[in-house]
Order: sequence, then structure tokens, then C-alpha cells
Amino acid sequence: MKKYVFIFSFLFVLLSMSCTVDEQCRTNKIVEMGIGFYHVVKNDSTKIVTTTSLSIDSLTIKGLKYDSIAQNYVYVDSNLFIKSKLTSKIYLPLHKFKVESKYEVTFNKTKDTITVLHENADQFLSLECGCIKIHTIDTVLTTNHFVDSIRIINHNVNTNNAENIHLFK
Amino acid sequence: MLKIFTYLSSLIFCLSVFTVNAQNTKKLPDKIKTPLFNGITIQTDVASVVSSALSTGESYSYEAGAQIDLKHKFYPIVELGYAGANKTSNDNINFNTQGIFGRIGVDINLLTSKKDEKPTTNLFLAGVRLGMTRFLYNINNVTITDDYWGETQTFNYSNVSSTKIWYEIVAGVRVEVTKNIFMGWTIRSKNLLTQDVSGEVAPWFIPGFGTNNGSNWGFNYTIGYKLQIPFKAKQAVILKKSKKP
Repeated sequence: MKKYVFIFSFLFVLLSMSCTVDEQCRTNKIVEMGIGFYHVVKNDSTKIVTTTSLSIDSLTIKGLKYDSIAQNYVYVDSNLFIKSKLTSKIYLPLHKFKVESKYEVTFNKTKDTITVLHENADQFLSLECGCIKIHTIDTVLTTNHFVDSIRIINHNVNTNNAENIHLFK
Repeated sequence: MLKIFTYLSSLIFCLSVFTVNAQNTKKLPDKIKTPLFNGITIQTDVASVVSSALSTGESYSYEAGAQIDLKHKFYPIVELGYAGANKTSNDNINFNTQGIFGRIGVDINLLTSKKDEKPTTNLFLAGVRLGMTRFLYNINNVTITDDYWGETQTFNYSNVSSTKIWYEIVAGVRVEVTKNIFMGWTIRSKNLLTQDVSGEVAPWFIPGFGTNNGSNWGFNYTIGYKLQIPFKAKQAVILKKSKKP
């Protein structure tokens, strides 16, 4: 009789200890390209060149997408970034399904167009979180009204919030 | 929760085994040499059937095994099963799979009987398993939305092949409830040996292992029948005759 008692009591304990499974996605899914603003200072007497972080007083960024009917670039409906305070770093989303992302950036009152050519790849996270797109930056082009030059620091754009591009004035 | 479970289960099977063992030891007058091969137990897992019924098709598993009794001490085992899952996430991503799995391993009976006692038929087992499965799975309705640039794509991963190998640390109890009919349970700590590559598509469920977490706990409640070997019966008759004056 004791045999049955211990076998069934254990089964009962085990069944009563059933756990609920957490099905919420808690993984960061935001993939954005980090851009830092820098200023190159050259000391004429010592000839030493130093790079310092640059804070922009007023910054507005709009996405530009190609309209196949108008055969021209048009603004995306909403602004990506508007900030009137000092800004030295921004994060922008790249196009998930196209290999070119174009932005109109207004530095104070001066406008530049930055074009990023990139590759896109799927990254599967889990059944709860699904899939994200990560990017590899290939080339960055810019007009030179405010911007002097651009350097790609890190080609991989993922969820790490890394700085990918240094933008020099 | 896990610690409470471990303590509870350890306490219960220690207490119960010693209770059962005390009931079934009978002193025999003569020393009997234990043969190497003492039969084979064919068993099926009832716990997986019950849990499959309770999960309403989200995951299911059925398994059976054959275990050889060597010297009432070592119990090599082969387990075979069929398992699958059909799970839809909160974001309507659907995962489904089905496949067979196998495990091989050995249990050791930790209960020792004295030389002048009849070997007990109740076992306190500890052992290891090596499990393997090769299966196909589908992940459907994976959606990526580009909130800013304004586009959405939905795609499927179909018939993705996967092979998984894992090991299990097993502990449990088995008792003979009536002649040659055995019941018992085991708890298992399962650990994957083959890991997924980060970023690549991976299964949510692995047949025989459970959800793809790296490590899992498992529970089996088995009912089995022990097939006695013919020569053992002959041996018993010879032994009986030889004892007659």
C-alpha cells in the first residue's frame, strides 16, 4: 500500500507545481545607426590636430524616399529628429527593405543631404520576439554645406547602440 | 521554485525508497550468486501522455523504453519517442514541428542488499542518458514592420532541418507493484550539447528535450513489464532440486 502512496503522492506534487511560461518579448529590437558630431581643431603653432565632440544648437532631420511616380525624392511624412538643445550624437533608422537611406539634415539653418548605402540581413531572435533587420553600412555620401567630411567607424548596425559614423564639421 | 522542487523530490524519494526496501527484504538461508542477465523491462511513459493531453496540442510527446537488468545493479536503457509542437506566439508567429527522438544510457541501482538476502525488486536509480533527434520545423507568419519608412514584410521559414544532441542526469525510483509489473518515476536534468548560432533561425521546441532553453527539467512516470529470461526459470528449478536432501 505504501508503494502506491509514495508513487501517487509524488505525481500529485509534480502536477500541482506546474509553472506559467513568460511569453513577453524583453529583448531590445531597436536597430539604429549612431552618428556622432565632431570638430577637427588644428593648433597652428604646435601643428597638432585634435578631434573634439561638437554640439549642434538646433538639429532637424527628415527622411527622403524615392517616389517612383514623381520620379523624385520626397519627404517621409514625419520628422525623424527635431531638437533645439545642444546635440552631439543622434540615432537614425536605416531603411529595412531597401539598400539606400537618404536624410535631409538641417544644422541650425544649413541643410545637407546624407545618403547611406547599406546591406540588410534578417536576425531571428525568438518565437516571442520574432525577427529584426540588421544592417552593414557600405558607403556614406554627403553634401558639404555644413558637413566637412564623414568617416565610417563601425559598419555593423545592430541593437548595440554603437556609434557608426563620425561626422566632421 | 526550482530549489523547493529539488528538495521536495529528493526528500520524497529517499524516504519512500527506504520504506519500500524495508518491506521487501527476506532472509534466505543460502548464498545465491546473482546472474549477469536478469531480464528486460519494457516500459512506457504515462507522464508524457498526461502532459500532452493537458497542453491541448501546443506540445506533445510519447515515449517508451527497454531496460536490461544486469546483476540487479546496472540497467542499460534505450528510450524511443515521438514528439511535436504547434505553438503560436502573441505576435501570431506560428511554430510547428514533429519528429522522433532516441536516448541511450545506463542506470545504476544505489540500493545494496546483503549477501544473505534476496535481491530487492525495488530500485533507487541514478543514471545518465545521451539523447538525439533530427527533425524538420516551420516558423510561419514572421512579420517585420518598418515604422518610419513605412513598409511591412511577412515571410516563412519552411522545412528547416535541425539536429540536436543533449545529455540527461536521471534519478528515480522503480517498484514491483505486482508480479513482473513495475511502476516508477524519474526526474531529469536535461542539457543541450548542440547550441544554436546567434541570429540564425532556431526551433522553439526540440522533440525529446522540450522547449529550446539550453537546459530543461523532465519528469517521467513509467509503467513496465519485466520479461523473465527462460534460463533463469530453469536455474531456479535446478537450485530448488539441489537443495532437497
